[in-house]
Amino acid sequence: MSREYELGTIRTEHVWKRFKADQQRMLLRDKVESMARRLRGGRGEDWRWALRDINLHIEPGESVGLIGSNGSGKSTLLKMLTRVMYPYGGIIDVRGRIGALIEIRAGIHPDLTGRENVYLFGALLGLKRREVAARFDDIVEFARLGGAIDRQVKFYSSGMQMRLGFAVAAYLEPHVLLVDEVLAVGDAVFQQRCLDRMREVAEQGTTIVFVSHDLPAVQSICRRGVWLEQGTVRVDAGIKDALAGYRDSIEAQSEASARSGEPLHLLKYEVTGEDRENLTTDEPMTVELTLGGDYRGDATLHLGVSEGTSSPIFQISHEIRLTGDDHHVACVIPRLPLPRGRYTLWAGVYSIGKTDGGTLMSWHSAGQFDVFGPVLDTPPRAVVLAAPVFVPHRWEE
Amino acid sequence: MGGHSAQVVDGRGTEPAARPAVPEGPPPELLFKRRLRPAQTARELWAARELVRALAERDLRARYKQAVLGFAWAVLTPLALCAIFTLVFHRAVKIDTGGVSYPLFAYVGLIVWQFFSNTMNQGALSLANNLSLLNKVYCPREVFPLATMLVASVDMLIGVGVLGVLFLATWTAPAATALWVLPLLAIQFAFTYGVALILSVAVVYLRDVRHLLPIITQMGVFATPVAYPLARIPVRMQEIYCGINPLGAVIEGYRRALLYGQAPDAGLTGIAAVSSLVFLVGGYLFFKKLETGIADVA
Repeated sequence: MSREYELGTIRTEHVWKRFKADQQRMLLRDKVESMARRLRGGRGEDWRWALRDINLHIEPGESVGLIGSNGSGKSTLLKMLTRVMYPYGGIIDVRGRIGALIEIRAGIHPDLTGRENVYLFGALLGLKRREVAARFDDIVEFARLGGAIDRQVKFYSSGMQMRLGFAVAAYLEPHVLLVDEVLAVGDAVFQQRCLDRMREVAEQGTTIVFVSHDLPAVQSICRRGVWLEQGTVRVDAGIKDALAGYRDSIEAQSEASARSGEPLHLLKYEVTGEDRENLTTDEPMTVELTLGGDYRGDATLHLGVSEGTSSPIFQISHEIRLTGDDHHVACVIPRLPLPRGRYTLWAGVYSIGKTDGGTLMSWHSAGQFDVFGPVLDTPPRAVVLAAPVFVPHRWEE
Repeated sequence: MGGHSAQVVDGRGTEPAARPAVPEGPPPELLFKRRLRPAQTARELWAARELVRALAERDLRARYKQAVLGFAWAVLTPLALCAIFTLVFHRAVKIDTGGVSYPLFAYVGLIVWQFFSNTMNQGALSLANNLSLLNKVYCPREVFPLATMLVASVDMLIGVGVLGVLFLATWTAPAATALWVLPLLAIQFAFTYGVALILSVAVVYLRDVRHLLPIITQMGVFATPVAYPLARIPVRMQEIYCGINPLGAVIEGYRRALLYGQAPDAGLTGIAAVSSLVFLVGGYLFFKKLETGIADVA
């Protein structure tokens, strides 16, 4: 029927999944009711699509970030790849051993010791007893449990419990690693260890599918991005393009819900480069704003620039005196430190002193602008791209 | 991999200009259908044997870690029931055991019944209690009821040890026909597992089934020839009875083989064997069919 795919390949073809729209309780009388409704010729049950026509082909060794807003179907797709859930229609084919990096605190038995739980988890995840034994020290080290490993788990802190379950999963050696929102688990140090472990696994050629709302983390691990929207694939491309598209759409939504009824509003803004030309990296940039409103008095104008909506890059402010008329103000940045890309301009005005107690125009994204210029050097594979600023530099040898 | 360029503006930059519209539904030939491949299922179950052991071990350890008397409970429960039965049925009702000491007679039945009711009660909830786990990790789900049956088997083994003590105490020797126990054991396991499979998946879909369990347990102990011989049931009804409740034939068979030195009744045992096979296979198919939706309803 199909050719042999290599271990680590993920293939979905025309995958559909639906859920009951009104699925809350599972009592006999609910079933009786719905059965009666169907007998009377009613619609029976309401269904809604969770995923529609998902076609993905992921090669062995690829790292793919699944992004999208809540309810877009990311977790459902992941569950079907894990084989926990079954599709309504379509083909799902995952080759090789599947590992799921998930928080499985649910499976921890409080009366057993940490050691006993590690073996139980191992068995659940498909590891043999001796395989767990071989990795046991690594697991304990990863979870930072130390001497607590022989204590009953009910005496663990909740963080320790989470780390325990997670550590076992992290030491599987699967062909395909599925990761669902792990970064909500544990403290910052542990999150970093999880990301490091994922990178390590990626280096070894494991296929990774990573679901998270932590976009920088996704970007640091994944090469390819799949943006799901309302159960369909909106964009399937390089991670930067997918993230950019997703961020733009979030922005569009937040701009749509604009505030009103504030004393000041932004009448006009313009972002220009030298001689009113395009913006270029390391060249001057001018931001011109016109504020409208009948407020009189001193105020502070804040300006900010972000990449997408969630990664602020810099922020500056300036005191202005408002006279009740339209107010024009310009700001020049002599050497723009931004590499090529699309950015968002933010603005807000707050009164000075105790007069009205604050907000004249709340902090909001005014709009977007493009910068032309050199592309940031691509970091080595699996390094966090947390530094979005262009620094003029010269190499000598 | 460079900075995103200007055409990504509307977030659709990398898509083809005309995105093919999403069809109304999946192509009908690709609708999901549960296909059961016996060889593959068996292989999966075999691969999960360590998991079954680990789950059973978890239950046993957890159960006895907190209990002061520990494994003694596995003995005390049937012994207490045995004592009550001896008082009620032997002294008051005067059950005819055919010359065998009544406690021994009743205890053989109780071992089988305890095994069944333990597996059924624990097994029925085995999926429901592990739902959060089932929603995250894949494993063949039939291991959960299987593990509870393994736990019940350990209890039964302890019970058998006590049976040996009872033999000594009553100066009775097990009859030479004791080897008949093996096929009867197979029937007992097949039936018990079949019932546990059906109930475990039914509880996930219909929480009401939970409330049926105590009723089945309480009625079953009297509806099954635990305290009395199968002969109490009218002869013409016995075949139908053993078809519905193979445990009747199993208990009767054990008594004949161990206490009376007779081979089990071929007809009734045959009926029980067929019936328990139907329970097992039917239960398994039922389980596998409904299993696909567990993650959706949980």
